[in-house]
Amino acid sequence: MTEKGKSLSAPILAFLPAIALIPVLSEIFKEVHGGGLHLLGKFALASFQPSLDPLIIQHAFRGLQITIATALISWTISMCAGSLLGVLSSNVFWRSYRNLGWLSSVFNSLISIPRSIHELVWGLLLLQLFGLNPWVAIVAICIPYSALVARVLRDQLESLDHRPMVAITKNGASPISAFFTALMPAMVPIMTTYGSYRLECALRGATLLGVFGLGGIGTELQLTLQSLEFNEMWTSLWMLGVLMFGLEKTMAQIRKRQAKSINLQKFLLPGLFIIMGLFILCFLWLQILEVDILSTLRMHPITLPQSKELIKAIYSFKYFELIFNTLLIMVLATGIAVGLPPVMLILFPTKKWVTALNILWSFLRLIPPPLSALLLLLITTPSVSVAALALGIHNLGIMGRLLKEGLESQNNAQHQAMLSAGAGMRGAWLYGLFSKQSKSYLAYGAYRADVIVRETSVVGVIGGVGLGWQLQESLSSFGWSEVIVIIAIYIFITRGVETVSNNIRKTLLIDPTKTQINNVFQPNRFVFQ
Amino acid sequence: MRTIVELRNVSIKGKGQYRLKNIHLNIESQERIALLGKSGAGKTTLIQVLNGTLVPDCGEAKWKGLEIHRLSQRKRQSIGTLWQDLRLIEELTVIQNINSGSLGRHNLIWAIGNLLGFIDNEHGLNCLSAVGLSNEKIHSSIMELSGGQKQRVAIARLLNQKSELLLADEPISNLDPVLVDDILNLFLSSGRYYSIDVPETAIVSLHRPDLIHNFSRVIGLKEGQIVFDQSTKNISKEDLKSIYQ
Amino acid sequence: MIKGRNYIKASVLLLVNILMLNSSVSVSAQETLVIGAIPDQNPERLNRLYGLLTDELSKSLKVPVRYIPVTNYPATVTAFRTGDLDLVWFGGLSGVQARLQTPNAKVLAQRDIDANFRSVFISNKSSQIPVMKTEADLKRLSGRRFTFGSESSTSGRLMPQHFLQKAGVSLNQFKGGRPGFSGSHDATIALVQSGAYEAGALNKQVWDARVKKGKVDQKKVQIIWVTPPYADYHWLIQGDINERFGEGFTKKVKKTLFGLNQNSPTQRRILSLFGATRFIPAEASQYKDIERIGRQLGKIK
Repeated sequence: MTEKGKSLSAPILAFLPAIALIPVLSEIFKEVHGGGLHLLGKFALASFQPSLDPLIIQHAFRGLQITIATALISWTISMCAGSLLGVLSSNVFWRSYRNLGWLSSVFNSLISIPRSIHELVWGLLLLQLFGLNPWVAIVAICIPYSALVARVLRDQLESLDHRPMVAITKNGASPISAFFTALMPAMVPIMTTYGSYRLECALRGATLLGVFGLGGIGTELQLTLQSLEFNEMWTSLWMLGVLMFGLEKTMAQIRKRQAKSINLQKFLLPGLFIIMGLFILCFLWLQILEVDILSTLRMHPITLPQSKELIKAIYSFKYFELIFNTLLIMVLATGIAVGLPPVMLILFPTKKWVTALNILWSFLRLIPPPLSALLLLLITTPSVSVAALALGIHNLGIMGRLLKEGLESQNNAQHQAMLSAGAGMRGAWLYGLFSKQSKSYLAYGAYRADVIVRETSVVGVIGGVGLGWQLQESLSSFGWSEVIVIIAIYIFITRGVETVSNNIRKTLLIDPTKTQINNVFQPNRFVFQ
Repeated sequence: MRTIVELRNVSIKGKGQYRLKNIHLNIESQERIALLGKSGAGKTTLIQVLNGTLVPDCGEAKWKGLEIHRLSQRKRQSIGTLWQDLRLIEELTVIQNINSGSLGRHNLIWAIGNLLGFIDNEHGLNCLSAVGLSNEKIHSSIMELSGGQKQRVAIARLLNQKSELLLADEPISNLDPVLVDDILNLFLSSGRYYSIDVPETAIVSLHRPDLIHNFSRVIGLKEGQIVFDQSTKNISKEDLKSIYQ
Repeated sequence: MIKGRNYIKASVLLLVNILMLNSSVSVSAQETLVIGAIPDQNPERLNRLYGLLTDELSKSLKVPVRYIPVTNYPATVTAFRTGDLDLVWFGGLSGVQARLQTPNAKVLAQRDIDANFRSVFISNKSSQIPVMKTEADLKRLSGRRFTFGSESSTSGRLMPQHFLQKAGVSLNQFKGGRPGFSGSHDATIALVQSGAYEAGALNKQVWDARVKKGKVDQKKVQIIWVTPPYADYHWLIQGDINERFGEGFTKKVKKTLFGLNQNSPTQRRILSLFGATRFIPAEASQYKDIERIGRQLGKIK
């Protein structure tokens, strides 16, 4: 009986997080001043007049190419490393091999640390250790991404039907052959879907690292915004937008095509060949762009702080405030990201409105959160709300797209039934379309909270709040003991949030009947980042 | 004839009750055994003990003197199972599934080659024609096949394993009547069928007593225990009745 | 039976080709003097300035010189520590940070204006913040929207914060509980002029240069206070530079810098972009105060 109650409330639950917008906007509006409003207007107007100066275009285009190549290289490496780690951290692999199940937990704890730290933080740390080197950005993306890929791969491996594997093992096949023959075919479509999302993430990650000075289009965006050259900024934004739009469309096409038929021979091998080819070409590409990618990565160790300094650093922070602010940013941003898309959709569930929203969402996920924070700071003062709003609207763009695609992929028989029964436009949308998606949407929202808590480090730097800000301050004063303490707190917080969100996801997704579990583990984006 | 399988006092505990209780069984090569019983009588459990999936809670299950669940990879090849749920790899094609039956004779590189579709082997194709599926189907994916076609692919995979002992769990329940005869003929033909080696010993679980005349020996199971175990000619109507009550 | 071999072969060949191609390029390269600078101004301007300086240094030192733009202060310090940069134009604070992390680094030169450098506090006229007469008047900035430049800037943050603190204004007394960090001196002017911030602090030389160029709308933004003088920007060079480029190389660099003068048009242009009339010798001891204030404000650990 409780099941019924739960499923009824899910559609409503999905709207509730939008309440977060109220405190956020009220804090922001309380501090709004007319001073910078015309700047925001200029920014908006400049979108129609991007600078067409050949020199600016050339600069932006070079930056874009560096970002693409960086993203592609780090994506390829992290997919390979992640696949390997994913297999190694899955229980089923070690169990099938020998009775070595415990080894999987060793690998599991090995991958849990790298993924709890955002690629930007890795980037800033590696920059200190290795100096200026194009590999810093690549490695910074690869470390958390490999661990994330590994986790998803492991979860999927564990959730597959293992019976065929047992069957062919009993036939006398070697465990490793059985593992590959029985499980890999099912993993290929999942990894293709997931991989295509990771490629988009890698592109966003590479752009973001650029915002913090690691090169590429992000650096162009940051510099043009800093000098308030909005027309030049839009030159870069439009380029990035066209690229992201093209990538999203291409990936959707690939997913659609391979969902229909999985032919490993026709699909996998050429696919791998193209990827490897691109990977190698990227090195050449970066060399042509005069990014010295083949230079060796030399480590320049810092002097590690002594225990005395470390203890001093441990006592130097106001932990409650730091952690509270970080969690507050996370909660508010998640609320905005999860709650607003359904609210926006239910306002006018018509085709034209959805198209308009879609354009808005594309724009929101295009702008890296620190830049939207900087834009917000033109009209208000730094606060938790600025950080939360900047982070929230970026993720809103991502959640909105997921919801839209989820709604479009389901069959709309119930919706039609509702409409023919005379239900209003909004009622029919709520009951006929959204209610079926709401659970998996919320589950995905819980997962998004994981991502958002990592990203707080990114906006904290700009918004001047939370751990992100403290990290930037300590890094710029080279206080290594403080840096160590902050990173430890980060790991602690992200691990905590991950546990909570996992539990929420489980209660939302696991239903008593097996068919539904299978649905959840379809190559469906809702299980992924 | 020699004894190949020996079960001594084998019991498997389930929730609260025994799924198998004190089973004693000797199986000799070239026997054709029918395993009868209602659903839940323990037929599947017994077959899973015989292929090493289940480890007896007490007692011993041996293949040629070695404990079945500890058999080496090479030795496991000699026991082939046709699972009730077939356990085909749905994402792969017919021929790739059939090839996966012979993984015991090949290494990992071969396994990956098979995944990528580089392996064509004649024996696999012969197995396919032995079960009466046309060659046109070899590159179809399992998902596109009907239930009966899947069953035959599973049998072809089993044949490709070249095992000595065949364990079949309800192999004919999904088949139409014409096919039942063909498949039973195949299982029970000694030696070669077309150009395929058929396992010389077979244990087939059934729920149709009318088909036992094809077998040399019949074992009746009820509530995890052996009720009767005799050669086919000695089976009486009462025996059959006793297990279905 | 295995058709994949061709693919693999092709990709291996391609990889080998690329590696060979590049190693041959890197072997033939001559030792290059790599210069850098903290990104305190608009990057286009820095690119122009260091493009000219690179050519000039290369001509006079007879070695290839390359300028690598760096986009944040700590990265510049790190790049110097790791040896990615040989000769760097640092601010007071970043220079001290760099020397503390890089043994044997030498203070080479400063501009004529750096020994007595100043910051300016500016305000948007509509904010009604009055011009300050004494240091203590800075107190009036509390409760206002205030922005510094980069968080590691000497003239855009460290010294202004130092004077604010002396006047009794701590960072959490600004409106919103914290100041902004615009990122650069130019950004500070733009943000205060636009009204996004009511007041800000920046490098006086940059302010003067922008005013002279007419880049500042003086109807909207004005100076409210000029700080007392302190030592700021300077050139740092790696301690082992002579071992790599030959005995006396440090001296040659110094001579080149000191030799820049108004007679040659390019040199005049470089100096004017630097906002200086010439470069003069500098000593590490001049930056003792900066180090003390840096430690006091927690920017040096």
